[in-house]
Amino acid sequence: MLTSLRAPLLLAAALAAGLAALPFLAPHDITLLNLGFLTFLYVAQGVAWNILGGFAGYISFGYAAFFGLGAYTTALLWLGGWTPALTYPVAGLAAAAFSLVVGVPTLRLVGPYFSIATIGVGEAMRILMLNLDRITGGASGLNLPTAVPSKGWFYLMALLFAGLSFATAAVVRASQFGLGLMALRLDLEAAEGLGVPTALFKNIAHALSAFIVGACGGLYATYLQFVHPDTVFGFTASISLVLIALIGGLGTLWGPVVGAVIFYAVQDYLQTRYPTFHLLAYGVLLILILLFEPRGLAGLAARLRRTVFPAAGPGAAEARAGRAR
Amino acid sequence: MFSAQNLVSVGIAALLTAGLYAIMSYGLAIIYGVMRVINLSHAGFLMLGAFMTLVYFQRWHLDPVLGAFVNLPLFFALGWLLHRLLVRRVVTSLPVASLLLLFGLWLVIQNLALAIWGGEDQSIITAYTYKALSLFGFRVPVTRLIVFAVALSVLAVLHFLLGHTYLGKALRATVQDPTAGLLVGIDTDRISALAFGLGTAFAAFAGGLLTLLFSFNPDFGGSFQLKSFTIIVLGGLENLAGVAAGAAILAFAESYAVLFMRASLQNVVAYALLVVALIVIPGGIGSLFSQNRS
Repeated sequence: MLTSLRAPLLLAAALAAGLAALPFLAPHDITLLNLGFLTFLYVAQGVAWNILGGFAGYISFGYAAFFGLGAYTTALLWLGGWTPALTYPVAGLAAAAFSLVVGVPTLRLVGPYFSIATIGVGEAMRILMLNLDRITGGASGLNLPTAVPSKGWFYLMALLFAGLSFATAAVVRASQFGLGLMALRLDLEAAEGLGVPTALFKNIAHALSAFIVGACGGLYATYLQFVHPDTVFGFTASISLVLIALIGGLGTLWGPVVGAVIFYAVQDYLQTRYPTFHLLAYGVLLILILLFEPRGLAGLAARLRRTVFPAAGPGAAEARAGRAR
Repeated sequence: MFSAQNLVSVGIAALLTAGLYAIMSYGLAIIYGVMRVINLSHAGFLMLGAFMTLVYFQRWHLDPVLGAFVNLPLFFALGWLLHRLLVRRVVTSLPVASLLLLFGLWLVIQNLALAIWGGEDQSIITAYTYKALSLFGFRVPVTRLIVFAVALSVLAVLHFLLGHTYLGKALRATVQDPTAGLLVGIDTDRISALAFGLGTAFAAFAGGLLTLLFSFNPDFGGSFQLKSFTIIVLGGLENLAGVAAGAAILAFAESYAVLFMRASLQNVVAYALLVVALIVIPGGIGSLFSQNRS
């Protein structure tokens, strides 16, 4: 168990250490720092979403509710005089608490019905927030203080979030809790029969990922210095996470990391040139993935490795052993 | 606000809305019933149906009601084709696979429409758009009456066809028990294609009718799709007759809720009802669970 945990964590730590040097090497390259910030923010959220969506197989289309709640928690506390960095854990806790309100009833639903319910919850939250204009500023949004840390600080903060999110997912995956989640994805009743407290595990996974996404929402609010219900609670915020995990590989550790990088690169490239086409590209990608390689890029990489190194080397032996098991 | 006059007039509006809701949700119910697939691209077909109706209207001055009927065969063919090419390949794998595939299809349709027609709101103004009739002293917009009447007659015809033709009976048999259907010699794969075609056709038909009442853009349909989910969940998901009941419940709940809350919160009623119905109502949900687990 420990060896399966150590390798990805070491690799991730080395990668993060390398990336952390960037703000010191190029402190004035705002474009690059922004690019890094948003990519890491997506990595953190995609990896977090994958804890419930990938490991446990409960596909939620409602994570915008957590992102938005985190963003507004930070926004209101910041306006109340808090230091932004101190508000992120509170933003995460607010989102996690809300995830229990949503999750305790809805996680009892089987697969697709849970997904449908989360769309309902997410949209209901957006409309509620638009209408609670005394608190949220409603459709005009909330302007936040303009005194913010440097772009380098945001870059490093997002990198830290991505790293913590990855570490959380890695620890979950290697733990008995993670095994429980994967067991209940494969067969809920069999897992229950073997003594996995499925309802509890699903809710913990939900709350854990909601906490991370909520904290990310808080960080995003400080970065943008503005919050609006349609952006932070928008359906796009929810579906991005689904797409990231699916592109990269549902339920894998590195899948959402790669997925987020590709997702944001495509978005950044297409959005500037053809503003409407990036969602079209994701739609096509999603269809292709589901038709030909449901395990996403991680599955594609495994398939490539098998064709390039057929039945030789430790990787192939491991893969075969994995399949045999 | 709560005068008898007012309550009755809200009731009439709710009844007329129920007709629209029923036709709008029928396609979703038929696909779910036969294939156990939740069609997340329903909104896309509603929207595409509306835009096609606009195209007929602009090119050939075709009335939107007739346009909705033109949509029926066109979108039946499209749905059939999509079933052959895409949906059929994923129905056997994970239940969420078809959900996600159709979600991808929705993204594609939505953004193709955005590329073709742009993001502005469109509307179709006919000679009778702003006309109203006086009914027992209540003023009722003509467009709402037309939509209600057309929706009801089409549903009646469909109900008749489902009850009195071989394909209709085969379809209903598949809804009740796909395995037993297969055992008595029903080509369930063909019935699935038929159901997906019908579902797509009815979504586009409803989209055409919606142009009489609302303006629309490529994002159009999302809220209607969620309402359709609410309706078929309320109606028991696989019970096609239940769709009418679900449509009526939602329409009345929404219409009367506006008397107590802001109109902009109206959609929350539908979404809250969706979540509550999914969790609480045992009628549809109970049977659904047992089928999914067996």
